[in-house]
Amino acid sequence: MYGLESIAANNGWAISVVGVSIVFTGLVLLSLSISRIHKVLGLWDNRNDIRIFRKKPQERSEPAPLPFTEKEKASARQFRLLVKIMDDPFSLQRLLHLAEISGLERPHSSLCHLIKVRIIEPDYQGDYFFNREAFDRFAS
Amino acid sequence: METLFIDFFQNTGFFLCDYRNIIMILVGMLFIYLGIAKDYEPLLLVPIGFGMLMGNIPVFKGLGLGIYENNSVLHYLYLGVTQGVYPPLIFLGIGAMTDFSTLLARPVLMLLGAAAQAGIFITFLGALALGFTPHEAASIGIIGGADGPTAIFLTAKLAPTLIGPIAVAAYSYMALVPVIQPPIMRLLTTRKERLIRMEEPREVTKREKILFPIIAFLLCCFLAPAALPLLGMLCFGNLLKEAVVTERLAVAARTSIIDSVTILLGVTVGASTQGDVFLTTKSVGIFFLGALSFCIATACGLLFAKMMNLFLKNKINPLLGAAGVSAVPDSARVVQVVGQREDPTNFLLMHAMAPNISGVIGSAIAAGVLWSFMS
Repeated sequence: MYGLESIAANNGWAISVVGVSIVFTGLVLLSLSISRIHKVLGLWDNRNDIRIFRKKPQERSEPAPLPFTEKEKASARQFRLLVKIMDDPFSLQRLLHLAEISGLERPHSSLCHLIKVRIIEPDYQGDYFFNREAFDRFAS
Repeated sequence: METLFIDFFQNTGFFLCDYRNIIMILVGMLFIYLGIAKDYEPLLLVPIGFGMLMGNIPVFKGLGLGIYENNSVLHYLYLGVTQGVYPPLIFLGIGAMTDFSTLLARPVLMLLGAAAQAGIFITFLGALALGFTPHEAASIGIIGGADGPTAIFLTAKLAPTLIGPIAVAAYSYMALVPVIQPPIMRLLTTRKERLIRMEEPREVTKREKILFPIIAFLLCCFLAPAALPLLGMLCFGNLLKEAVVTERLAVAARTSIIDSVTILLGVTVGASTQGDVFLTTKSVGIFFLGALSFCIATACGLLFAKMMNLFLKNKINPLLGAAGVSAVPDSARVVQVVGQREDPTNFLLMHAMAPNISGVIGSAIAAGVLWSFMS
């Protein structure tokens, strides 16, 4: 068998058309993918600028409640009374001064402890305020 | 004593010689001449040419000397061809010596490599029309890919009896790229088109080069799994080269491995061209169709480049289309030479390497596709 008859009998037309299409598809896909490699790498390099990749800021974890002895609880209550006579927010130096002249025991250490458990919290503008919730939780 | 002498004489090549052996020995000498004196693909033509001399020494059948005798040394070496072992190893070496930068810098040029593969399928149709079986037609068509290892690989799988003529045709036409392609290139392009300058390619990063063989392998082999042996080794060789940390392996692949395999492949393919097996009407048909395939592939690449220029803002030099046939790097060199004849300051070589390399990938995919269709 020769000529067009032979081509048709051996499915030549279909093999050729499908074959060329597959070769073209393969190289077009490859061409498209490699044309994007440098862009994908660029994105990967700058992933911190992209919102979905940006690491979420870690939420401030609640401080583990420190054990409050009865003495410390009493100290906290005394500080609370001092804060009550001050404006809110108040100056830490002034609170310390009041604690010293009121004769509170170890005022520095006590104040430090209250800051650690966030009964006294900074307002990030230089002053502090009294956190009633924390006080109720730890010292009431 | 007289009988002994007569027996000896009857076993000599002079007595057993056939005119076909003489013709093939002359062809072998021509190959050696072209390789050494004309510098046409000497690394291939010299081993093939000498293999032709070895294969056409008339030997007494049964002594285990001929390549087609089961117990001969040449036969064992030839197993690497018939079992498709050598071509993937050559692809490993090619991968380890190829720089894909230009391809990565301008991926659109890859389409030229795809267009040139149309020659394979057009020749496949031509071979069917001339009465070849589909398996033989597919093996003949792949000559248009201008890729010797691919042609041998596919023929070993589909039409092992034709390995000799197809391998010799493929390598002959690859060696004759500087002769065959320029007239077609000049015929299908205008001077104005040949003067087009290509824009500078962008710089390609190391990471892109490392990612390319992995992406190319996965994508192409998922699409055409039969291309796995050739593309797998090509991409693996390239990964060895680009990874840097495997430099020793890359050096071995691109030097000792590819050199050893080229010697074995060349000599055994040459030796397989025994006059009585090789000189048949089929071989003449294969040579004719092989030349046709090569010319069609070149023309398809050129015409596709011209067509692309209708749509591209930055025009490409259509000569690059001729490099879509995968004769690496010869067809790219021919593009450079033809381009520089018009404008000696126009450097097209690095741009031509892109379609040239994509032609290698394209012909391996085409071989895989044909193999899967035929099996």
